Amino acid sequence: MRYQSQRVAYWFFATCMALLSLQIIYGFIMAFAHAGYDVLHNVIPFHAARATHTNLLIMWLLSGFMGAAYYIIPEEVEREIYWPKLAYAQLVALVVVGVTAIIGFHFNWWEGRKFLEIPRPLDYLVVLDVLLFVANIGMTVLRGRRKTTTALVLYFGLLSMALLYLPGMIPTSNQTIDSYLRWWVVHLWVEGVWELIMGGILSFLLIKLTGIDREVVEKWLYVIVGLTFLSGILGTGHHYYYIGTPKYWFWVGGIFGALEPLAFLGMAIYAVSMARRGGRDHPNRIAMLWTVGCSIMSFVGGGFLGFAHTLPQVNLYTHGTLVTAMHAHMAFWGAYAMLVLAIISYAMPQLTGRKLYDKPAALLAFWASNIGMVAMTLAFAVAGVTQVYLERKVGLDFLAVQKEIEIHFVGLILAASLFTLGIACFIYNFVLYGLPVGVVAIDGREVPLAVAPAE
Amino acid sequence: MLSKSAARAFFLVGTATCSAALIGLTVDSFARIPGQTHAEKITPAVARGKDLWDSSNCMGCHTLLGEGAYYAPELTRVYDRRGPAFIRAMLRDPEKMYPGQRKMKNFHFKESEIDDLVEFLEWIGKMDLNGFPPKPDLVPLAVPMTAGTAFVAKAGNRPQIFNQMCIACHSLGGQGGNVGPALDLVGDRHDAEYIGRWLYDPLAVKVDSKMPKLPLSKDQIQELVAFLSQLKSEAKP
Repeated sequence: MRYQSQRVAYWFFATCMALLSLQIIYGFIMAFAHAGYDVLHNVIPFHAARATHTNLLIMWLLSGFMGAAYYIIPEEVEREIYWPKLAYAQLVALVVVGVTAIIGFHFNWWEGRKFLEIPRPLDYLVVLDVLLFVANIGMTVLRGRRKTTTALVLYFGLLSMALLYLPGMIPTSNQTIDSYLRWWVVHLWVEGVWELIMGGILSFLLIKLTGIDREVVEKWLYVIVGLTFLSGILGTGHHYYYIGTPKYWFWVGGIFGALEPLAFLGMAIYAVSMARRGGRDHPNRIAMLWTVGCSIMSFVGGGFLGFAHTLPQVNLYTHGTLVTAMHAHMAFWGAYAMLVLAIISYAMPQLTGRKLYDKPAALLAFWASNIGMVAMTLAFAVAGVTQVYLERKVGLDFLAVQKEIEIHFVGLILAASLFTLGIACFIYNFVLYGLPVGVVAIDGREVPLAVAPAE
Repeated sequence: MLSKSAARAFFLVGTATCSAALIGLTVDSFARIPGQTHAEKITPAVARGKDLWDSSNCMGCHTLLGEGAYYAPELTRVYDRRGPAFIRAMLRDPEKMYPGQRKMKNFHFKESEIDDLVEFLEWIGKMDLNGFPPKPDLVPLAVPMTAGTAFVAKAGNRPQIFNQMCIACHSLGGQGGNVGPALDLVGDRHDAEYIGRWLYDPLAVKVDSKMPKLPLSKDQIQELVAFLSQLKSEAKP
């Protein structure tokens, strides 16, 4: 850590930990309901749990991206954050809006559009908050001593994310147009600009952890985000097969959707090859593990499992079944959750001056959560494929099929318990790190104040 | 070897081209969607129904056009599948319609709101969705063709109200719900008079019955009695 204002990142990361914990609790509520134990129905009906689960995910990832930006941008452009106090205010505002939305869900207050359930008045506040954040980062970049590709890619990813929220707010009474525009937000976020943010953060981590020349890392960064947009923008079409849109989307969505794994594959090859070529043996090996793990799991979850149902012939049967939940869990985990956990793992020793990356809990966190997530994905896969077969091919009634697959949700709960153990270890380690401290720079070396006298 | 400026050019040109293509296709799609979705049939009631659909977060459990959560049935074609009478009864008291099953929250909709939701679902059901939802194509393989059920397994022989309402909970020839008992050979177990009384009000026949009194007209009951009472094993010579 080189700049005092980077410390704000800690509070964004702490918010991530809190929201992630809550997200997991709501996940369990849903898994139990699916397994036949909807015991909280009168307090937290399924649709409230579902909206809370997905919106908490979006919120903690946003908080993670913001924290990552506040940590990375000062180091990249070599100056303090332009308005450091605004960063704190903006975090508080995000948390207040988020918590209000979630409490509202439990009292039946929402807009009710998948992933965009937050009620309209709060939508404006979210946009305002993200724009303030983008302005703060933008001013920091603009007034910075240098402009790196990593910083620019990260910045434009965040800016596009804020702007792409707007199409989702255009009012319409046609369900098809509503859905069409909703995917402009959801798809162009997760299979578009979020990958830009991902590329920027990965590039920063690889430069820091491997010591490979910035020019090389950033050149390939362009290639990867180029592939992302080449496939991802028109890949939006794979959501436009069966919602009342013209048939030519079969071709557009099919072809470009099928190309989307290339971007993730590129990301994986990029991270793995940079890690292998890296000369510097960085002591924070756990951050390296999360970084490379992120690139590989995002390919498996986002690329491979996404490809599994992106073609229109397949999607006709899988559209609107648990097969989507299978893909979504590993994709979000691999691409974005692991990314945020990677930057947290890298930043925490720098922010707090404590080097806890060799702790057994840190390693257990990585393996338990990843093995747990793979097992969860398998449970969803078996449930999803069975549902497709019995409901869409054999024609059994929906509820009869759900009875048949209840047992797979018991498997899901077991897998999720292992996953939760991993996350609990991660949070335990996070708490052990303690609060961030100030820093001094000695001979160009970054030495945290807390440990400076001892060294 | 690829230079950084070439890589940047690849990124910028690719992104600009694809963005332009997406915008172009979107303009064209928006011109065609109203025709394909019969937008002229979006009455004020349909629009109010959509608002209710959103503000109750129905997608938090159900899918519509295949989008939403996977906890409750896909509702795109529910208007044809179950009919307006069933949908109304379901919205008035969900738990009564599926006793002891996965629960739906009772939203306590007003009658006028239920009308709006039914109109909304009717409009959704008429859209051209390029073949979604798919017709189950393995049914003939999966349904056992026993002598007693072979002639009734054909959907054409059944009253429409049977296919919409009864089948939600009961099965016949291996198809339908498993909430209540299968109705194969029900004519062997009960005569027409009993079935008629049962359909008029199940609770009057059996106090602890889980089956609710359904919104059936006299004609519909007669039609169902005629149909159900002939579901018998073939008379032995």
